[in-house]
Amino acid sequence: MAQAAPAPVALAARTRGLRKLYRGTVAVDHVDLDVPQGSVLGMLGPNGSGKTTTIRMLLGLTVPTAGTVELLGVPMPEQAEVALPEVGALVEGPGFHSFLSGRDNLLRLAAAEPMLAGKAIPGAVEDALARVRLTDAADRRFRGYSLGMKQRLGLAAALLVPRRLVVLDEPTNGLDPAGTREVREVIGQLHAAGTTVLVSSHLLAEVEATCTHVAVLHRGTVVAQGELATLLEAGSPALVVSTPDGDKAVEALRDKRIPARSLPDGLQVDLTTTTAPEVVAILVGAGVAVHEVRKQRTGLEELFARLTESGDAQPDVDGQEEGWL
Amino acid sequence: MTTEVVGMTALPVGASRPRRAPLGRLLRSELRWVFRRPRTLVGIGLLGLAPIVIGVATLFVTSGVTGDPEQGPPITALGGSALTLPVISLSMLLLFLLPLVASIAAADAIAGESASGTLRGLLVAPVGRLRLLAVKMVGVMAVITAAVLVITVVAVVTGLILHGTSGLVTLSGTTLSLGESLGRVTVTVGWVLLQLWAVAAIALAVSACTEHPLVVLSTVIGGLIVIGILGSLPVLDWLQPFLLSDNWTAGADVLRDPVYTGDMGTSALRALCYLVIGYSLAVARMATKDS
Repeated sequence: MAQAAPAPVALAARTRGLRKLYRGTVAVDHVDLDVPQGSVLGMLGPNGSGKTTTIRMLLGLTVPTAGTVELLGVPMPEQAEVALPEVGALVEGPGFHSFLSGRDNLLRLAAAEPMLAGKAIPGAVEDALARVRLTDAADRRFRGYSLGMKQRLGLAAALLVPRRLVVLDEPTNGLDPAGTREVREVIGQLHAAGTTVLVSSHLLAEVEATCTHVAVLHRGTVVAQGELATLLEAGSPALVVSTPDGDKAVEALRDKRIPARSLPDGLQVDLTTTTAPEVVAILVGAGVAVHEVRKQRTGLEELFARLTESGDAQPDVDGQEEGWL
Repeated sequence: MTTEVVGMTALPVGASRPRRAPLGRLLRSELRWVFRRPRTLVGIGLLGLAPIVIGVATLFVTSGVTGDPEQGPPITALGGSALTLPVISLSMLLLFLLPLVASIAAADAIAGESASGTLRGLLVAPVGRLRLLAVKMVGVMAVITAAVLVITVVAVVTGLILHGTSGLVTLSGTTLSLGESLGRVTVTVGWVLLQLWAVAAIALAVSACTEHPLVVLSTVIGGLIVIGILGSLPVLDWLQPFLLSDNWTAGADVLRDPVYTGDMGTSALRALCYLVIGYSLAVARMATKDS
């Protein structure tokens, strides 16, 4: 299991031994999640892997069966009124009233925001609407919004107040490519302003493009977390060498018991038992013309597949209610 | 706003006390939401028509029986005045339609918000759970109060239009002044409100247990029907003091002279107990509710 850098890092959110049972079904177990302050942490996992349940416990919406949650340095849900005013969240899709306009929906939420002074409410709502480009549709009823517009309004609600932490659960659901790009831009702006962002997604490209850190969830537990770059390199290390003398190179390496295989215009060398300089030295010593040498990055997709490869279908327990019926 | 903390520095210590949005602002926002709901307005509007229907209907009954003095003046014959029409309208509507309004409001307040995903938004803002429950209770009580007041005002005005200020006759045969009559109507209004708030508190407790508004509706209305059946079984006499709707016809006691307060007092006290119990259950459930 890969870990983040050992240096003491202030954490915007931290869970230890988090466990949640929904009527006997384990939704989340042994989740030790670290969200470093200032990071953009992508929470990855197949559907039903416990992303939403974890987020709901972070925000105090669900009480954990066991384990502890710290949000912005204070325990949750006990001190929700300390931490949550500085946390913006879009959880489990946008929840709004269909008979109210987008603006009225936001006004209602803004009235509940502790950090907003009464006089600042209309301005904050207009700013948030403008930020997600909904100003023109602000007076239409929520009922008539497209899926993408609903999602943007949810994002606007999370951005009503300058936050220290923004939690976005599947923020690009239902968005077209342009909308997805806009969400990325917003995440970039938040990151630049020093806001910590926790974004859950099952879209790998989205995470790879926006995140500094990654946590991979599988079957209700964190199977890997840390800086994106570190995780990607921690995969199966390999060296890609461009050379016209591919066969000669493979032969030379195999003589030294280093696994390698030919590629169309070169070869791929396994680095488990050796290092890049050693490989290059062997090749040069064997008289192979080396044009280019680069480390192969695993790619998030491959990493993800490796971590979750036994991923048969898991009952979708995210967000299940504990209601009576 | 305070300056943002960038990078891996320590969390600032200053931000360690709870912050809350002002209660008045939350209440205003809740009331605005409640009274902008189309179903609230339609429901109150329809209930407001009921006294007109009852008043006009009793007018026909009255004229139909005038030639038959042997049967004495039937109760319905008294239904038209500014004293009796509001009291009788409220008593009739209390049996089912007003509890329905109370349950719908309570169902929307928590279960409905939970179903539409808006409860999350409020809790994450954050509005403290118990604070939110209090705000919700006020909102539901406001809907009920508005409905009862609309019915009362429409009934009084209808009574005055149909019969003027004369004929404010009690069931005991005495005649009251308009002022006295309005005083007695006010007593009934207060008593009816208390009964309905008790229903609302129970409904709110159910509402906190589910995310399906229909469950709230069927539980409360079904419960009232069951209570009605249980209350009518002689074998279960001993149970009657505990049934909320046991004396729900007592509101008409203000039409006697002097006013008979026994049943109204008992049922008011009982409603108060239900109110406290219902609200306590709602508090207990709300504290740990998943949303």
